[in-house]
Amino acid sequence: MYYYIVDQNHLPLEKFERLQTQLQGLLAEFKIAGEVARVTPLRNITDLVNTASQRGAKTLVACGSDDTFNQMLAALKGRDFTAGFIPFDENSILAKILGTENLFTGVKTIAARRIEKIDLAKISGNYFISFLEFGVMSQNIKDATLWQSLKLLSSESKSFTIRIDDSYNVTINGQGGLVANIRSSSAHNERIANPTDGNLDLLILEKLSKMQILAHRKAIGEGCLEKVPNTTVIKCKKIEFLEPRGFSLTMLGRVVAKFPATVEIIPQRLRMIVGKSRTF
Amino acid sequence: MEKDLDENLSAQAETVVGPSVKIQGDLNSEGNIRIEGQVAGKVTTSQSVFVNQGAHIAADILAGNAIVGGEVQGNLKISGHLILQSTAKISGDISCAILRVEDGAQFTGKCAMNSNGNSAHGKKEAYNREKEPALETE
Repeated sequence: MYYYIVDQNHLPLEKFERLQTQLQGLLAEFKIAGEVARVTPLRNITDLVNTASQRGAKTLVACGSDDTFNQMLAALKGRDFTAGFIPFDENSILAKILGTENLFTGVKTIAARRIEKIDLAKISGNYFISFLEFGVMSQNIKDATLWQSLKLLSSESKSFTIRIDDSYNVTINGQGGLVANIRSSSAHNERIANPTDGNLDLLILEKLSKMQILAHRKAIGEGCLEKVPNTTVIKCKKIEFLEPRGFSLTMLGRVVAKFPATVEIIPQRLRMIVGKSRTF
Repeated sequence: MEKDLDENLSAQAETVVGPSVKIQGDLNSEGNIRIEGQVAGKVTTSQSVFVNQGAHIAADILAGNAIVGGEVQGNLKISGHLILQSTAKISGDISCAILRVEDGAQFTGKCAMNSNGNSAHGKKEAYNREKEPALETE
């Protein structure tokens, strides 16, 4: 049985209602109708996931923004579901990664039911499949003008202390970095951010000269830090962020944890419905 | 061969330790490692290690192949090729199947060539056939 969690999030009510009507029409057309539950102030995503579990739903589909999917994943708490995602937002990063670019493709993908087992990352009891950032955030660089990005990337370096795989400590003066399980440029053959390799990739950006910022601004905006000179790249299964205490770890701009925090990978844990044009 | 190994490492280094990084503890990897910073702990991989000029390692290195252009204070146990570049400074014993030492490299310690080495010897012969010396000493 399919259980659809529909979330208005930041969409205007009119647009959301139009999308919801379209969604129900498409679900009927593709013969994958199930229970559709809307997120309200009284029924949050966690409540809806619990309800789906009680009703014996096998497939949970988040319909809304990337945040809707991330919150649904966090609410799963390791329970055994097949997960899907239908985007209401044209700029969804997850939709690009999963190959479900828009509402129609999303529903078509759910109907085709191509399932891929992917690694699930865990931070402070929350689960995620994409990436976390600290310090310099790729989205900010992507949206910034040339001068703004120069200013952002020329800011003072921070000294980070990070413990890897309970084996060694890394101390680095850097601008920031990211922990990637999947990112929008992931691919099956890629060494970095491959969601089926059972590893996390930690990329840390060092301070750059103005010329380097100009030359590599695009790569930083796309989160492809390994293309930037002097970037540290570490493949591991467990990352403990120790210092500086109180420093934020963000997911798509939302703070999800602060240092000290631990990120771990659970290999091949999530059954995910993916589209043909997925990036991995 | 050095060029091939270097290009291979540049393209496929799974772990890259940047110039401002200090690592304390044992660094284990299943892929190639490129070190440009400082490591105080054993470095282990079945693949290749590249110690860049300016890098400093204060521990043993166990690897399949290695190119050293930086400073290593510890023993190197390499099952395949070991290349000491002109900027290399090694204080420790080395053990490898095929060794190349470039002009200017500094090495203090004992050197042992792997004796398990029909394959290594074979590689050496194959290498000689390419009209390049397998072992160059100063």
